[in-house]
Amino acid sequence: MSMIKEMMTTAADYFPMLLRKQAPKFVTESGNPVYGIVAEFDETPKVFKAAAQVRDAGYSKWDVHTPFPIHDMEEAMGIKTTKLPLMAGGAALTGLCIAVVLQWGTTDILYPTVVQGKPFEAWQPFVPIMFELAILCTAFMCIFGMLALNGLPRWHHPLFSHERFYRVGNDRFFISIESTDPNFDPIKTKQLLEKAGGTDITLVEDVK
Amino acid sequence: MSQILANKPAPDITGLQDADWQNRLNQIASDPRMTEENTTLSSASARKVALPLIGIGIVGLVLTIIGAFSVNLRHALGAFEIGVFTALAISLGSLFWVMVFHSLNASWSITLRRQFENIASMIWVPTIMIIIVAAIEIFQGGVLLQWLNHSEEYNHLLEVKKPYLNANFFIVRIIIYAVAWILISRLLLGWSKKTDESGDRYYGRKARKLAGFAIPVFAFTTTFAAFDFLMSLDYRFFSTMWGVYYFASCGLASVSAVAIVATMLRRAGKLDGLVTEEHYHDLGKLVFAFTVFWAYISFSQYFLIWYSNIPEETAWYTNRQQYGWQWLFVVMTIGHFVLPFLLLIWRKIKRTPVLLCSMSVYMLLMVVMDMTWIIRPMVDIQSSAVESASNAGVFGIVLDIAGVVGVLGIFAGLVALKVAKSPLLPIKDPMLHESMKHKNYV
Repeated sequence: MSMIKEMMTTAADYFPMLLRKQAPKFVTESGNPVYGIVAEFDETPKVFKAAAQVRDAGYSKWDVHTPFPIHDMEEAMGIKTTKLPLMAGGAALTGLCIAVVLQWGTTDILYPTVVQGKPFEAWQPFVPIMFELAILCTAFMCIFGMLALNGLPRWHHPLFSHERFYRVGNDRFFISIESTDPNFDPIKTKQLLEKAGGTDITLVEDVK
Repeated sequence: MSQILANKPAPDITGLQDADWQNRLNQIASDPRMTEENTTLSSASARKVALPLIGIGIVGLVLTIIGAFSVNLRHALGAFEIGVFTALAISLGSLFWVMVFHSLNASWSITLRRQFENIASMIWVPTIMIIIVAAIEIFQGGVLLQWLNHSEEYNHLLEVKKPYLNANFFIVRIIIYAVAWILISRLLLGWSKKTDESGDRYYGRKARKLAGFAIPVFAFTTTFAAFDFLMSLDYRFFSTMWGVYYFASCGLASVSAVAIVATMLRRAGKLDGLVTEEHYHDLGKLVFAFTVFWAYISFSQYFLIWYSNIPEETAWYTNRQQYGWQWLFVVMTIGHFVLPFLLLIWRKIKRTPVLLCSMSVYMLLMVVMDMTWIIRPMVDIQSSAVESASNAGVFGIVLDIAGVVGVLGIFAGLVALKVAKSPLLPIKDPMLHESMKHKNYV
């Protein structure tokens, strides 16, 4: 159920003319919806330990932003393996079936065709097409499935309205917790990040 | 300032000082996983595994020899060759992997490398066996290799191929293969063992240099050995893909064999924390890759021959699809490709030692079936009607199994004895610490 809701929200992001976004749960005094809370860290071990604390607190819609990849961060964040391989596998099977139906259906059933005097029921010439179409569908699913899952491309991200966040490309680490998270609470979340050692903890607005 | 620089020894080609390497060795030696108990196998426990295997092997070989005299020599030799070329694939493939690891400076595989080296250095077993096969073929004037048979009437194809397919050049080639394989594998294992004693990293550099030059040697010897013994079973047949086809079995069989050896060592309580599920994951990826590679190669070969429909090429497949060996075609497509593809694609199977070990045993069985598919039908096709009537009995099947089990039993037993002779991993390899903390980030 929550997955459907999430998909609807994503769809509303991309097609605002078709779907209305849900009313935001938290709004600032200026009337802008709250995107989330951002905390700043200045050392890798600090952000690593803080990530583990946020994970243990049970948050699901949050992220760590770093200037470079940090090994084992996926464990510290508790990120589960992506569903993309399963989706790609499904796409591969689909491509395989399309190839089988199109080739057998046309040259063996609908309009039996003699090619080089080979038997009608020969399966050998169909194998390269079966392989290629399966690969093609897999590749498409990998690219577009990845884009659909991570929500790219997008014009703008609310975090960029936070001036200090630009240092993420240089020498600072950030943890952002989104307000759409069911556990999100402006005060408790802030306390958690403070306890985890974050500095400059800021509420970020989703400025229109 | 210049005084200080002058006193400092020049860094070596890797940019590290001797002291840096010494620090690495100390770091490795002080690791809690590097205990004597964890990194060595007692010869008593190796013998417990090896002796039954060698016993089974000797029984198999005795049965094969009995079969050679009582049933027929061709059938016995065919069964023996199936085993020999599986064993050769395992050890040749291991040799290939050792050279690849050295030349690419691979660090993930170092805790597993000694097992690859052990299996590669046992290449003298299948090499002696192919010399026996060649001797029987030459003295009998062509048992399975009909081109050694001089009594055949004039045959244009045979006449054209005479400059390559003749007994003298055959002997020369076999000597070259034997020398090249045994020399390379002994040198690589020897240097690795010397590094164990002294911690001198220059043996590794030597091995790397040798590996670079020896990979082409490996490629040519493997290709031509496959031509000489397997492709020329039917001297009319030719396929430029043949060397790669056999090489695909080499790569597959050796990684499977190492996965089995590693699992047995782990079950004996060795290599704990040194060969982890991360290493299994990589071994599993290689098994998967070579399953797909084999399918790709063998289908390309089949597909082109099927399409072009040239009699001397097509005969190889028609022979195998008409005389009672059709079921092997299904085993090859479903059993050697579709089933392992669908199983090994799962991350869980590659990362669970027991599951990967079972898959490896299965893949080794499939390599045996592949060799059967290449060799066994030629026995029936080349036998006269009288001889093949005698094959039909139960003892024919027993003979097939005895030949394969005989060779593989002896080979596996000798490998097990070899494993106990040195530490289970190159304990002073300067890159070992990287392999010890190896992790797949995907």
